[in-house]
Amino acid sequence: MPNTQTNGGTAALGLKRPKGTKPLRGSQGKIAVLFLLPYLAVFTVFRLGPSIAGIFISFCKWDLAGSLSFIGLDNFKRMLTDSNFHISIINTLVFFVLTLPPLIIFSLLLAAFFNMKMRGRNVGRTVAIIPYVLIPAVVGIIWNWMYDNNFGILNYYLKKMGGPSVQWLTNEHMALTSVAIVIVWSFLGYNTVLFLAGLQGISKELYEAARIDGATRFQTFIKITLPLLKPTTSMVVTLTMVNTVQLFDQIFVMTNGGPGTSTLTMVQYLYTSAFQNYEMGYGSAIEVAVLIILIIMIFIQNKLLKVDEEV
Amino acid sequence: MKKKIKPGLKYLLLVAVCVVFLFPLVWAFVCSVKPEAEILSYPPRWVPKTFTLSNYTTVLQKYPYLSWGVNSLITSIAGTLLILFLASLAAYALGRFHFRGRNLIYGTIVTMLLIPIQAYMIPLYLMCAKVGMLNTYGSIIFPSAANVTSIFILTSFFKGLPRELEEAARIDGCGEFTIFAKIMLPLSKPALSTVTILTFIANWNSFLWPMIAIRSDKMLTLPVGIAQFMGSVNSNAQFQYGTALAACCMAIISTMIVFLLLQRYFVEGIATSGIKG
Repeated sequence: MPNTQTNGGTAALGLKRPKGTKPLRGSQGKIAVLFLLPYLAVFTVFRLGPSIAGIFISFCKWDLAGSLSFIGLDNFKRMLTDSNFHISIINTLVFFVLTLPPLIIFSLLLAAFFNMKMRGRNVGRTVAIIPYVLIPAVVGIIWNWMYDNNFGILNYYLKKMGGPSVQWLTNEHMALTSVAIVIVWSFLGYNTVLFLAGLQGISKELYEAARIDGATRFQTFIKITLPLLKPTTSMVVTLTMVNTVQLFDQIFVMTNGGPGTSTLTMVQYLYTSAFQNYEMGYGSAIEVAVLIILIIMIFIQNKLLKVDEEV
Repeated sequence: MKKKIKPGLKYLLLVAVCVVFLFPLVWAFVCSVKPEAEILSYPPRWVPKTFTLSNYTTVLQKYPYLSWGVNSLITSIAGTLLILFLASLAAYALGRFHFRGRNLIYGTIVTMLLIPIQAYMIPLYLMCAKVGMLNTYGSIIFPSAANVTSIFILTSFFKGLPRELEEAARIDGCGEFTIFAKIMLPLSKPALSTVTILTFIANWNSFLWPMIAIRSDKMLTLPVGIAQFMGSVNSNAQFQYGTALAACCMAIISTMIVFLLLQRYFVEGIATSGIKG
């Protein structure tokens, strides 16, 4: 699969064209418009337009009464002194730091495991992906029940093993970690499938050669698998980053930002500001902040895991 | 030199992995058939003392659960079909035609991959409110049809198809649309099924936007409806784990039916979309 795609990609650049074929520029322009128009109409109205408008509204005061007034940078100035906003940035970053390493390391290990020859590995792959396809609210409810302080099954087993009873979601210092565990549980299979695809793209002959040279399994993994997997890793990191920074559904269902502000992420705060306090302008400004943070993170990520650009 | 990992250890690991992923679901099913009093008793039991389906009947009788399911099905299927129609046409043009502005259009579309729903839902909401679209199926279907991932996947697929095919057809005098519909589309089944799966699951699980766009109880989709059972969302006094878990289990079953039917394509789908970003 990956091979055919890369070939397709380079051929598709359209830079090299076999001699004797005409570019057909003029006639194709018109027909292209016909093909593109339906999608572009929907895309512009429901995606591009609102995205641009969001940036515009962030400079405005707009309540649901519908009065729109330009207030310049006031929304952004307010962020500077809004302690809830600061907490939401910190929570978002902490949440990201809590989820990224396990979501990358465990999924890579799991993918390597599922890539081994063994019976039943397809069952394992299927099972691992199940949490990802479940409705987020379902995941939230089920885990809330397992996390229950008094009757939850997790505390029951903890106590049985002589451990303490943990206040998973009601302790301010614990809640964000508890939610992070759930997110790792539900996204792990997804990342695993991505890594598996990358692993299967690595040529078997390389491993064969390494084996003949007497490399150990660990050496092979470090010297061959990891470097060749770099494009996949980079992509998985980016996707995980975008997914966790934007994460809303599960947190909303499980804690709704609480207790206190302990799980209030930026996206939660955005929702509260815009749709519970009806401050659309301020909400839009938080949107812009989320976007800026994402862009910075992706920029840093690209610097750290530099990959040759591949079309 | 190199030690093989023992088969026994491998299977132990495999079982452990399955337990980690399935444990919460099995536990939810076990609890959903217990009466509330037994759910809230200590210690928890894996085999219910009393087996009851009353939680399920409560969900079906007291909540418009089936309507939620139907709403979800309608919006997910309609959204997916619309995406397939719009995206295959557009991606075909972007992947195979030469015209000015192609890279600009493609670049603009793909940039939107980075911009999450949270970043444009406020203007979207204000717009839908203005034209009276809120609380309709359309308010869920159309925004979902402005899908970017599908353009991404299909464009790179169409780019990869051999050019000789269409040159031959063109010499035979076929119009561009005939080439697209009769030659290219049948060849695109793998890519189209990938898009179908990915967009269907995304639509089926979509939560935040439907929650904002739909306010009447009957029009809710399943994800939003189920969230009503959660205390933090809807601080109702009558919150009960039993009914909430029964609602979850029914959703799990319906999702699993779809998933298992399409499972093969689904895993391929993630892999393909992943490779391309």
